[in-house]
Amino acid sequence: MVDLSPLRDAIIDGNAKMAKALTDQALKEGTDPQSIVTTYLIPAMDEVGRRFECNEYFVPELLIAARAMKGSMELIRPLLVKGGVQPIATVAIGTVKGDLHDIGKNLVASMLEGGGFTVVDLGVDVAPEKFVASVQEKGVNIICLSALLTTTMPAMKDTIAALNSAGLRGKVKVMIGGAPVIQRYSDEIGADGYSDNASSAVQLARKLAAAA
Amino acid sequence: MPRVRLLPQDESFEAPAGAALGDLLFSHGVEQPCGGRGRCRGCRVQVVAGALAPGDDDRASFSAVELAQGWRLGCRARVDADLTVALGRWSSPVLADDTPLVLEPRDGLGIAIDLGSTTLVAQLVDRANGQVLGVRTALNPQARRGADIMTRIDHAMHGGAAELTALVRAELGRLVGELLAAHPGTPRLVTVAGNSVMHHLFAGVDLAPLSTPPYEPEQSGEVALDGGALGWPGCAGCPVVALPCLGGFVGGDILAGLLATGMGQDPRPSALIDLGTNGEIAVSDGTRMVCASTAAGPAFEGAAISCGMRAATGAVSTVRVDGDGLAVTVLGGGAARGVCGSGLIDACAAARRLGWLAGTGRIKREDRLIPLAPGVALTQGDVRQVQLAKGAVAAGFDLLLRRLGLRAQDLGRVWLAGAFGNAIDRASAHAVGLLPLPPERVTPAGNTALLGARLALSHDDHAYAALRARCTHIALKQDEAFEDAYLEGMAFP
Ligand code: B12
Repeated sequence: MVDLSPLRDAIIDGNAKMAKALTDQALKEGTDPQSIVTTYLIPAMDEVGRRFECNEYFVPELLIAARAMKGSMELIRPLLVKGGVQPIATVAIGTVKGDLHDIGKNLVASMLEGGGFTVVDLGVDVAPEKFVASVQEKGVNIICLSALLTTTMPAMKDTIAALNSAGLRGKVKVMIGGAPVIQRYSDEIGADGYSDNASSAVQLARKLAAAA
Repeated sequence: MPRVRLLPQDESFEAPAGAALGDLLFSHGVEQPCGGRGRCRGCRVQVVAGALAPGDDDRASFSAVELAQGWRLGCRARVDADLTVALGRWSSPVLADDTPLVLEPRDGLGIAIDLGSTTLVAQLVDRANGQVLGVRTALNPQARRGADIMTRIDHAMHGGAAELTALVRAELGRLVGELLAAHPGTPRLVTVAGNSVMHHLFAGVDLAPLSTPPYEPEQSGEVALDGGALGWPGCAGCPVVALPCLGGFVGGDILAGLLATGMGQDPRPSALIDLGTNGEIAVSDGTRMVCASTAAGPAFEGAAISCGMRAATGAVSTVRVDGDGLAVTVLGGGAARGVCGSGLIDACAAARRLGWLAGTGRIKREDRLIPLAPGVALTQGDVRQVQLAKGAVAAGFDLLLRRLGLRAQDLGRVWLAGAFGNAIDRASAHAVGLLPLPPERVTPAGNTALLGARLALSHDDHAYAALRARCTHIALKQDEAFEDAYLEGMAFP
């Protein structure tokens, strides 16, 4: 297999154009799409996450790296689906009802995607029923809830209650996050995990997926 | 102790020898638009009896004739002996710069109220000449039910709305009662300027529309109550008008700011920015106006900063480069206990100049700190909070300018409203990318909510309704370009 380490660097540097061109070229040359993901994209995003956690990177660098990764994923995804490759797990993510903040949620979604998960993005202002429906219809294993307003945090509790009453709580893991959320709140409402940033969110999701 | 007598209202009080006249005047309704830096003449007084030796700032601000007439800057003077001073004109000193203030003399008394989430200010005004006859301040008693507006909304939506309404109405009634007890008379009009949440709670309007998407008030209009029905002493039959909101979280306080700065009459492009927790901005191209709230967060007030504090004794309030290190000043002069908003912005600007801070916001020093004073340092996390807050303001500003097809350099003037806006160093704000313009084009305008409420007392009744109709509220969430503008805004130029 050709050496694609420039692809890895392009993503870490957030060079979307370069990442896309290199991916395109690699696919044309017949490189296995799954191996591009596992050998380059996931390690690249792991490195981006590491730099974020040790405070070298901040939101802007994270976002542009995520965009570069997404550009190359767009080329790869149709081929993965054709090849019937199994993702680690399927995650549904959304900003809870009443809340429209989505920058943090989008970052978590991208990092999860870059971490090898299939991500169903339900968007913003997502009602509990929509999360429930995603489990019923899309075979979701993990639900990620984001809230940035103190006034919308209770919607996280409502969503867990809705999963309970639909009899689905045992089937999915629930992760929560967003600036005002703390671990204690997560424990209080019976979520399965909390993390305060997009990078550790991936590690948490991997842990929950392994436990499922 | 020296006695100070203020004219024309003829109030007298004792002051400790050496007391700053500016502080004494402030508690009698004289504002310091430039924050007491001797720049704007807003607090000027004329010595009628006694003496105040002119200082350098006085000589820079007044002509020889004016100095001989006894004009001095209130904020620079200290009281050493008995003194009688006449307060300067009430009209905004800010406006006096270029735009003449059209004031229509009216009969009777009026009361202007700045209804803040934290503090309340009420001024009794003689509508014939605009003279401030008295002022009373108090903490907003709603603060017991939460410091920020989202917590108030939450409390209101869980059955506490009537309580919050009653609390603030009663406290304002108390201030009005005190004002009228000191200066008996019958007020003809009370104007109240506050943010959207304060407006709704005061007026008794349902907050539900502001608590769920799209966060647009249903009833943002002017609400007139009756002073008698509110139970306010001496106010039977007197209309109490809550100035209308501009849309979303941009309230009547910003409308008052448009009045106070004269932006509505200014044919040149200009902008008003209130650098509080919600970071409201209004931009005018001379004809059209747009406004938005940028949700900066409380970092500028010292919250969410590891060593952050309010601008009180012990706060590092200014920071500048000194050789290859930093020199700071501490409020009250003692040991530093923390850093307040103005020090925070200064520190980032200075650290950037010293090369301690990369454009991305990463601290390059080995210890990953920006040390300001013994025991007071900014951490990497603190700088990140500054980036989130100032990036949001910069992004909002950028998008509003784009709406009107303007660039920052097209703006003739940017007015700064609010306490933080008046304390901040404008050069530092420019250097960190918080404000898009250099200091010469940025003017602190003081408490524009109060000033605007006072102007509304004598304005043509519907002057502000017309102003409001011209100003379109933009929901930034609906603007696709926000994310990119926000990313750009987070960087240090
Ligand atoms: C940007 C912003 C906006 C933008 C939103 C743009 C967008 N597309 O999202 C705009 C301007 C539209 C906006 C509007 C409003 N906002 Co706003 N906004 C902010 C701001 C400045 C930054 C938020 C942000 O994007 N941070 C960056 C991201 C990357 O961080 P993050 O979201 O926390 O995500 C990280 C982690 O938390 C974690 N994470 C996030 N989600 C999840 C989920 C899971 C499962 C996990 C594991 C982890 C995780 O990972 C992320 C990356 O590391 C904050 C203030 C601040 N300084 O933080 C206010 C703030 C959140 N907003 C606030 C408010 C009140 C509002 C408004 C309601 C009113 C207003 N001020 O205009 C409106 C209406 C909002 C709405 N319609 O929902 C308040 C909330 C206060 C409170 N007590 O609740 C804040 C704190 C500002 C303030 N006034 O104090 N806002």
